[in-house]
Amino acid sequence: MLTTVADGRVFDYSYCLGMYGMSGQGFWAPQDFALADDDTMFVISRGAEELGQRISKVTLDHQFLGQFGAFGRGDGQFIWPRSIALDDAGAIYASDDFLNRISIFDQDGAFQHAWGEAGDAKGQLNAPSGMTFDGSGNLLVVDAMNHRVQRFTKKGKYLGGFGRQGAADGEFNLPWGVCTDDAGNVYVADWKNNRVQKFDADGNYLMKFEASPSGVGDLHGPSSVAVDSEGDVYVTDWGSHRLQVYAPDGRFIATLVGDAQQPSPWTQTYIDANPEIIKARRRVNLEPEWRFRRPVAVKVDRNDRIMVLEAARHRIQIYDKVKDYEEHPLNL
Amino acid sequence: MGNREDIALLGHLMRRAGFGATYAELAERAAAGYEAAVEDLLNPERFEPVDADVLYRFLPGYEGALGPPLNQAEWIYRMINTRRPLEEKMALFWHQLFATGNSKVDNPPELTQQIDMFRQYGLGSFRELLVQLAQNPAMIFWLDNNGNHLGAINENWGRELLELFSMGVGNYSEDDIKEASRAFTGWTVGPKIPRNPLGRFYWNFEYRPEDHDDGPKTFLGHTGNFNGQDIIDIVVNQPATARFLARHLYNFFVADEPQVPSWNITPPNDPDAIDRLVAAYDESNGDVRAMLRTLFNSDFFKQARFSRVKSPAELVIGTARMAGHFAGPRPGFNSLAFECAYQGQELLNPPSVESWHTGAEWIDGGALVRRVNFAAGILGDTALPGVSAIVISIRARGALSPDEFVDACLELVGPLEIGANTRAELLDQARSDGELRWDDAAADSEKRVGLMLALIAASRDFQFA
Repeated sequence: MLTTVADGRVFDYSYCLGMYGMSGQGFWAPQDFALADDDTMFVISRGAEELGQRISKVTLDHQFLGQFGAFGRGDGQFIWPRSIALDDAGAIYASDDFLNRISIFDQDGAFQHAWGEAGDAKGQLNAPSGMTFDGSGNLLVVDAMNHRVQRFTKKGKYLGGFGRQGAADGEFNLPWGVCTDDAGNVYVADWKNNRVQKFDADGNYLMKFEASPSGVGDLHGPSSVAVDSEGDVYVTDWGSHRLQVYAPDGRFIATLVGDAQQPSPWTQTYIDANPEIIKARRRVNLEPEWRFRRPVAVKVDRNDRIMVLEAARHRIQIYDKVKDYEEHPLNL
Repeated sequence: MGNREDIALLGHLMRRAGFGATYAELAERAAAGYEAAVEDLLNPERFEPVDADVLYRFLPGYEGALGPPLNQAEWIYRMINTRRPLEEKMALFWHQLFATGNSKVDNPPELTQQIDMFRQYGLGSFRELLVQLAQNPAMIFWLDNNGNHLGAINENWGRELLELFSMGVGNYSEDDIKEASRAFTGWTVGPKIPRNPLGRFYWNFEYRPEDHDDGPKTFLGHTGNFNGQDIIDIVVNQPATARFLARHLYNFFVADEPQVPSWNITPPNDPDAIDRLVAAYDESNGDVRAMLRTLFNSDFFKQARFSRVKSPAELVIGTARMAGHFAGPRPGFNSLAFECAYQGQELLNPPSVESWHTGAEWIDGGALVRRVNFAAGILGDTALPGVSAIVISIRARGALSPDEFVDACLELVGPLEIGANTRAELLDQARSDGELRWDDAAADSEKRVGLMLALIAASRDFQFA
C-alpha cells in the first residue's frame, strides 16, 4: 500500500534515496543518519571489516556531496561506526561502538576532536550506540553493553545517566536507539527486551511501548525510535523488518512495511546502465525489493516527514504524514 | 572433574566432534561422563543456537554477505562461538562431501543458506538430506540442474549424486546416470531479483511439471515413472550408499583414509569399523545421528587419537577457540577466513565438486609454514584470554620442574600426546631456564610459558587431531 490509513492518521509513501555502494555514491550497511536544517543529510555507513566505513553527505534530492571518514583507529577514522547526531551549531558527532569513542567533525568533514573511554564506570563506554542531543544541548548516548543511557556535554564531560541491565521497568538489555520529544522526554529502543521505554528528562521511567496483551503491535528487536509533532511514536522493528507506529498513550496504530516500488534515481541509473539487470528484473516479482530490510534508524523532520533507513537495502524510504487527507469515494 | 584419562578422551571427542575445548570445559564434560557428552553433541537442540541477532547487529555486513570472504567469516564466527559444536562440525563434513563453490555459484548468501540447511538436516535422515540437497538452489546451479530439461538432459547433478554424494564409482551404470537425470528434470530455481544495487535476494527452488520427464525409467534395476524423490529412495537403500557414507564418516571423524577417488579399488583401513557403521545405517533406516552414536562410542574411535591431520579449518578454528580472542562479535573474522584459504581450504569455495583432498595432502611446504606460524603466533601470545588462562592455571601449580612444566603445557592444550623427539626438544627448552618459578621471576615465567606453548603449536604433533 502506498497510502496507509489508520486511526485518523494517513501515511503516504513519498520516495526513496540511496543504494549500495562500497564507496562514493551509495551506502554500505548504513546505521544512522542526521538531517541538517538545509535538508542536507549525513549518513553513516558501517561497511564490513576494513571496507566501507564512512559518513556520506547527501541531499534529500539525491545529490551526493562527498564523504569523509575511513577504516582505522586514527583521528577521524572508524572501526564500527554506529550512530550520528548534529548539535545546534551543526557539528557532527559520530559514535564507534568498537573503539568506544565519539568523534566530532565539522560539516565539511574536517575532524575536530574525539572523546570516550572504554569501561563500565560512570562516564565510560562499552559499545556506544544511539545518540541524540537533549534540549540543553547535551548528548545522550546509549551505552549498549553497559545497558544504560549516559549524558555528556559536547566536550565529553559526564553529567549523569540512568538504567541498568535487566527486564524490569527502567532497565535495559542491549539498548540501541534513542530520541527525545518536544517536552524533553527520552525514548530508548530497548533492543533485547523488545520494547521502547519512555523516560522524563531526568531519566525517570514513565511508560513503555510494546505488544498489547493480545500481541498486537509487538516488537522484535527495536533499533530506533522517533516522535512526530503530534506525539506519535515510530519504531524501527529491526527483527521483523517493519516500522511500528504508536499513539502517544502507547496504543498501537499501524505497521509500515516499505513501499519502494520506484527505485531511487541512483538505483535507476545503475539499472539503466546494465541491460542484463534490466532483463532479469522484468522476469521477477519485485515486491521483496520494495519492503524494509533491517530498518535501523527512523527520523521525523520538522514537516513530519518520516524517514526510515534500511541497513540491508542501503537506502532511506520517506513517508509523509498527511494532515489534510480526504477520503476518496470508496465506490470508484 | 574426571581423571586425566577421562579428560584426555573428552579432548579427543571434542577435537573430532567439534573444534576442541578448553581444559576447564573438558573437565566439566568429563565429570558428567563420556556417554553424556556424546549425547549432548548428538542433540544440539539442548543448547541455545548462536544468537544471530547479536551477530548481525554488530556485524551487519555478514548478513547476506555481498562477497567472500564475508560469508566465510560469518561461518567461522558460528564455528567458534557455537554451543552446538557437532552441528557446525557436521555442516563442515557435509560441505566437504557435497562440495559447492562460490567460484561458479557467485552467490555467497546462497552458499550460506546451504550451510544452514546442513545445520538443520545434517544429523537426521540421509534421505531427507539428499532431497534437501537436490532442492538446494546453490547445488542446482553448481551442478547445472537448471539446465536439465525434458528431452534435453544435463547429467551433471545425476552423475555426481551417484558418484560423489551417495554410492561411489563402480556401483551404477552410465544408463543409471541418464535415467536419474531424467527423473530430476524440472527441478530448478526461479529467477530472482538481481543482487545489485540493493543487496542480495535469494533464489527459491522451483519444480516445473511441464519441464519434467514423467515417462517410465529404469534405474538400478527398478522401473517406474520416477521423479527425483523416487531416485533418492532407491539410492539410500543401496548397500553401496551405506558403505560410502560410512567410509566418509570414518575418514572425517576417525582416521585418514586414502583419497576418495581411489575408494573403488582401495579397501578401507578398518573394514570392521566400516561394517559397524553400515549396520548402524541399516538398523536406523539411514539415520546419521545413529551412525555417529555408534562411531563416537566405539573403541575404534576412542583408540584413534591423533591419527588424523587437522584440516585448515580445524587448525584455525580450534586454535582461535583455545585462545579465546574471537569470542563474540569483533572485527577480524575475515582474517581467519583468509588464513584457512592460505592453508589450502577456502571455505565455501572448494577447488571442485570432488572437494579437497584430505589427510597428508593438507600439508605441503607452504601450507606447513603457514600452519606453524599461525598456531605458534597465537598460542605464544599470553595477552590473549585463553592463553592467559593457561598461564594462570600453570601458575596455580606453583614451581614446576622442567618435566612438570612441559607436561602441564601439553595437558592444557589438548591434552596433547607427543612423540619422543618432540618431547626431547621441549625438555631441552624447558631445562635451559631451569625450574619454572612464580616468585620474583613471574614476568619471565609468563614469557617462558608463552614460548613453550608456541613451540608445542609448532610441533609436528600439533598438526594432528
